[in-house]
Amino acid sequence: MRQIVFKLRDGALRSGAAEVPVDVSPLTPDKLFGEGEDEIKSTKVWWGNRQENVERIFEVSVSGDASGAEEVKVVFEGELRKVKRIGYEMSAGEIVAEGSVGMHCGARMRGGRITVNGSADCWAGCEMHGGTLIIEGDAGDNLCACYRGETTGMTGGTVVVKGNAGECIAQYMAGGEITVRGNADMLAGLDMKGGKIVIEGDAVMPGANMSGGEIIVKGKVIDMMPSFKYEETVTIDGEEYKKYRGDFAIGEKKAKGTLLIRS
Amino acid sequence: MAELLIKNGVVFDPINGVKGEKMDICIRDGKIVESLHDEHGARVIDASGCVVMPGGVDAHAHIAGGKVNAGRLLRPEDGRRGLEPKRGVCKPCTGYSVPNTWATGYRYAKMGYTFVMEPAMPPLTARHTHEELVDTPIIDKAALPLIDNNWMTLQYVRDENYEMLSAYVAWMIRATRGYGIKIVNPGGTEAWGFAKNCGLDDPVPHWDVTPADIIRALAHANERYEMPHSIHVHGNMLGHPGNYETTLRTFDVVKGISASMQRQTMHTTHIQFFCYGGTSWKDFESKADEIAKYVNENEHITIDLGSIILGDTTTMTADGPMEYTLYRLTGRKWTNHDVELETGAGIVPFLYSSRNPVHSVQWTIGLELALLIKNPWKVVLSTDHPNAGPFIGYPILISMLMSKKRRDEVMKEVHPAVFDRSSLASIDRELDFHEIAIITRASAAKILGLHNHGKGHLGVGADADVAIYGISHEESDAGAVQRAFLNAKYTIKCGEIVVKDGEIVATPEGRTFYVEPECEESLMNEVMKDIERLFKEYYTVSLSNYPVQDVYTPHPYVIKAPMSG
Repeated sequence: MRQIVFKLRDGALRSGAAEVPVDVSPLTPDKLFGEGEDEIKSTKVWWGNRQENVERIFEVSVSGDASGAEEVKVVFEGELRKVKRIGYEMSAGEIVAEGSVGMHCGARMRGGRITVNGSADCWAGCEMHGGTLIIEGDAGDNLCACYRGETTGMTGGTVVVKGNAGECIAQYMAGGEITVRGNADMLAGLDMKGGKIVIEGDAVMPGANMSGGEIIVKGKVIDMMPSFKYEETVTIDGEEYKKYRGDFAIGEKKAKGTLLIRS
Repeated sequence: MAELLIKNGVVFDPINGVKGEKMDICIRDGKIVESLHDEHGARVIDASGCVVMPGGVDAHAHIAGGKVNAGRLLRPEDGRRGLEPKRGVCKPCTGYSVPNTWATGYRYAKMGYTFVMEPAMPPLTARHTHEELVDTPIIDKAALPLIDNNWMTLQYVRDENYEMLSAYVAWMIRATRGYGIKIVNPGGTEAWGFAKNCGLDDPVPHWDVTPADIIRALAHANERYEMPHSIHVHGNMLGHPGNYETTLRTFDVVKGISASMQRQTMHTTHIQFFCYGGTSWKDFESKADEIAKYVNENEHITIDLGSIILGDTTTMTADGPMEYTLYRLTGRKWTNHDVELETGAGIVPFLYSSRNPVHSVQWTIGLELALLIKNPWKVVLSTDHPNAGPFIGYPILISMLMSKKRRDEVMKEVHPAVFDRSSLASIDRELDFHEIAIITRASAAKILGLHNHGKGHLGVGADADVAIYGISHEESDAGAVQRAFLNAKYTIKCGEIVVKDGEIVATPEGRTFYVEPECEESLMNEVMKDIERLFKEYYTVSLSNYPVQDVYTPHPYVIKAPMSG
């Protein structure tokens, strides 16, 4: 087992009055499992429009050895709000972020596990294909969505948000499962095609344009889409849910999404 | 300027009748010369085992202008493909079907291309088009203004006032710094302003003219001047099943009109989209054989292929109604644009899928045409970038045209409808390097009239635009061909090495070619009265702000087109 700790140096992201984000997509278990300590320290990361050695921005400590990415645990420490693309495209191993993280955390991830012990900014878990993403705090907008213009978002994996989630989560979602313990803001599951979203709190306008998949809302639905049709009442785990089909706004044949709301 | 010697290459220079001969090419001051002054001081490129051709000439690719930019805005997801950071002399690149201007210049240069025609410039947005062309590095370029759906044109055609039409056309080409006359769905784009479309012989709404009248009148207007290029026509009913009959009748419209220069009287573009038989998408079939037969039997027509590259792309054309049809068909996103009094445009992303029977048959048509038309001088390789596929797919097409084996392999992978609804499987012809050199540079240069201005050949005095491909002239492996044409070993642009071993090493600015038709003054004065009235009454810009100024063509190459005697 190998552990690599990146502790953000105080003020390392400051440039004049601004705090410039650093892109840590090269710091995944996949890319680091075979690298020596010196190589890790001199890995290039984009800081704004310039490339810097990791060591300039993070204090790096490495312990143990690994023969594959799945034996690596990467830990990020410090004030991580401007640290973006944590775990980008990772396929194995584990990343733990001790604090709230910047945008795109876990985007395009294929496997492994990311735990954020804080909140995650927008676009977390975007276009995720597999693996597990746990966010102990809140998630920003576009959680598990796709990037602008694409027509397929998350296709697999598991995401748990213990707080609230922002707008347009799971846009164009096609597979996998998302659980939001708190509330979800406007348009959860927008254009959703498959997969499952569980919102334990309230949701605003969930399921707009959905053509497949399932959204379960355990709290209130605010501004329910008028283009959903009530079908029946079903019982799941001893609780009664109203089952709706939609979204008929995109045509009757395509309206194959399921929206379950606890009665 | 330093001299350059390209030694021992096997040269294909069809315009000068050089058909795979081992010879040296001498370059000085950006031009091909007979011999060098100082052979020892010259830089030498050893092209042993390589194929040497003139720089490629693309007669039809939408690379700049409002429409292309709207495509970039509509498709942020396309921008993610082909991302390359700033490196060496290169600026950052984005995009696949709608690349940024830098990527466009670099990728063409890497394929050995040195001239590209932007074929659809709305006159009102000519400045935007020229600005983007200036920002497209390395390659030389030109643009064809859209003149066919313009109210002035429609008025003169209706009044059968062909003299005034020719003067108007001359003014428009000069005002936009254009290269010739582009026609896109004549009448149909105007009709689209009223949510209608037009067949070849249907009257245009509110105008008592037909698309055939427009094409004929503009062909006459074009031939009143010694224009390097003929009218450049995207006809009516593009992409509709059964449209091949319209296409054949469109060919006939200009039959009998004599050209003012030694060339065709009509270039019909991305003809693949106009070769469709059947009555609906269900009985859709290829009629490439009918179109090829006509082209084989007639001398006044040239074509470019508009061949399909299977995969994702962005369709964009001034043919607004066609794009709306496509949008209804795909249900994907769509944007539509109207250019006051002049033209319009539509854009829809599109996936040509190998599993789809229609797309698969469409894919065969471009190849069929290239192989069935006997005289390669009538054919230009194109994908109507990005409508049938991005230009970066040209090497794929080249490899297919050169290898029956490759075609057979792909035919097995696409929808089996190709065996019943297209004749591609029965065609054994394989193009050789000489014929490829014709359809990728020589014929395009001749059809555009650029061979008289140093493009598309390697004769003494020509621009020193040379592509050196790292492949033996005897190579027949399709994969090797494709790789070689995708990344030239060297590309030389006006005597400067811009690509070495498939990498960009210099990024000079290219020139903008434009034509100045020379209309008699009295007629021009008369037409100006009409133009002034039009601007006063209808345009949102004033006439004095309309013509493109010098600053938009910092490296101009002006071709004078006197009245034809």
